[in-house]
Amino acid sequence: MMEFFGHLGLGFAVALTMQNIILCFVGCLVGTLIGVLPGIGPIATISILLPLTFGLEPTSALIMLAGIYYGAQYGGSTASILLNIPGESSAVVTALDGHAMARKGRAGVALGISAIGSFFAGCFSTLLMAAMAIPLASIALIFGPAEYFSMMVMGLAFAILLARGSILKAILMVLVGLLLAGIGPDLTTGQLRMTFSQRWLSDGIEISLLGMGLFGMAEVFRSLEHGESRDTVRTAAIGRLLPNRAEMKQSAKPIMRGTLLGSILGLLPGNGAVLAPFASYTLEKRLAKDPSRFGHGAIEGVAGPESANNAGAQTSFIPLLTLGIPPNAVMAVMVGAMTIHGIVPGPQIISKTPDIFWGIIASMWIGNLMLLVINLPLVGLWVKLLKVPYRLMFVGIMIFCCLGVYFIRREPIDILMLGGLGIVGYGLAKLNFEPAPLTLGFVLGRMMEENLRQALIISRGDILTFVERPISLVFLLLAIVMLGIGFLPKVSKRREEVFVE
Amino acid sequence: MKTDLVKSSQNLISGLILIAFAAIAVWSLSNLSQGTVTSIGPAMVPRTVALLIGLGGVVLVVLSLLHESEPLERWHVRGPVFVSLGLIAFALTIKVPGFLVAAPLSMMIAGWGSQDARLRELIIFSVVLTGFCILLFKVLLGQQLPILVIHSLSIRI
Repeated sequence: MMEFFGHLGLGFAVALTMQNIILCFVGCLVGTLIGVLPGIGPIATISILLPLTFGLEPTSALIMLAGIYYGAQYGGSTASILLNIPGESSAVVTALDGHAMARKGRAGVALGISAIGSFFAGCFSTLLMAAMAIPLASIALIFGPAEYFSMMVMGLAFAILLARGSILKAILMVLVGLLLAGIGPDLTTGQLRMTFSQRWLSDGIEISLLGMGLFGMAEVFRSLEHGESRDTVRTAAIGRLLPNRAEMKQSAKPIMRGTLLGSILGLLPGNGAVLAPFASYTLEKRLAKDPSRFGHGAIEGVAGPESANNAGAQTSFIPLLTLGIPPNAVMAVMVGAMTIHGIVPGPQIISKTPDIFWGIIASMWIGNLMLLVINLPLVGLWVKLLKVPYRLMFVGIMIFCCLGVYFIRREPIDILMLGGLGIVGYGLAKLNFEPAPLTLGFVLGRMMEENLRQALIISRGDILTFVERPISLVFLLLAIVMLGIGFLPKVSKRREEVFVE
Repeated sequence: MKTDLVKSSQNLISGLILIAFAAIAVWSLSNLSQGTVTSIGPAMVPRTVALLIGLGGVVLVVLSLLHESEPLERWHVRGPVFVSLGLIAFALTIKVPGFLVAAPLSMMIAGWGSQDARLRELIIFSVVLTGFCILLFKVLLGQQLPILVIHSLSIRI
């Protein structure tokens, strides 16, 4: 126990310098600024703002990134409450009751409770992370390449199960992602693969470029179909921000339940965090005395899912920091960010650079606090920003994406690739393919290939190594069970229902 | 859109695209070695994945002949075309003559991707946003961004 507080103390000592607090503040501010733009989720926001951290030393850079990350998350909720345009899938749920509350003139309370719930979730999951990091990292040390490979297979199977629509199409998307990850130099021989002798492809495709194209630009193309038909909260009245005593009492339990649910789901590899707000919403609706209020501005329907979302977003750092495996595309962008600063996420980060590790954990909490401090007073500003009509807004989104892409490598050809990926993403949507499994396949592709090759070298070419090693076998069996569940007709119907809801 | 043979145009097109995609990948890997199971060569993993994608594509094509599913959605061309043109303009002008030209130019082109575009408003918005970006990214955050580069006048900001 003393050790636990000692670690947290070390983290705060690293994180709490004046410079870092200012960086965290700026990160939160610009993160929300970009994240609040409709259609720009956390992936695109982090990608656009990542270059801001390039000149900083590692700890400060990560603290600023944490600020950007939480700002982006909260910006997304703000957009879905006020505009009913969720920036990413996890904000869909918030839009249901949050926007209904906004239309009844309670936008302020919805935003307020979402900030408070997120803060509570952030505090809890920070403590959870601190407590779980060392045990998990020591488990990771007994994992060999075979276990890593099988665990990633399980993560992909889970992502397939979570995707909406046809299972076959989700599997295909994962495979396409794996294939795209293969572009670039081979891991051992360095021979170029699938680059078509193009110099700009020789390093492979950048994950943030893929994210901005498939999510950011594709979303712009899709939104342009509808023209100016947005359901903005036109009334200037945001109302009071702080929930009153009765509202707090109503929300307290949903916040706690959401936090717990989100923390657990976030731990799962394969983007379990995405499930958290849906699960919390369904749970609250089940538990409510009068479920019919849901969808018409029930505060529990905002408090629970928002807490679950934030808790999941935070605990999804755990697989990344302890096992080195990014559970979703956002975390993959974070890996990219860390690698740039010379930090390789994985079990060795705790023992080798404890100050950085505990600094990150502490900075997450600071990021959460910052959000509460700056966002509530600034709500008016975000509202004004969201009143910009979409016919102008999308132009702004485009230019931010251009800048984000340009800052990565300063190669103009990447801007053309952004457009190309945007069109691909638009096409995928038209053909009912979901881009999320693709990005996860892309994220894990290189690591999977590397571990597969190493495992086979160790076993001298014996493929059975994956089923002979017990932990690896368990992962593979779980993967098969998940895929099997997905193919059950009854379950696939239920999946539809959950997502329609 | 419905013919007797093809029951789901969406699945048919998806399948054909995936088959083509897989074929291109396999072709581009043709001069790389497969290796053995003990020491996997550079081509083995991507080739296997590509073959699986091709197989999935075939399954989709077969399904499209057997089962009905949602029809192909209409593509809207206007948005993607103008935004892509805007991106091309940005890519061509960002290095020389720089952001001061690239940003307003690309925004004024892309803006027409919306059917509600209005010229005056678009010009004002582009100019203001260009200024804002320069202020935020260049001045406040110190990013490397060529603002105005004209070689003949030796201007380099």
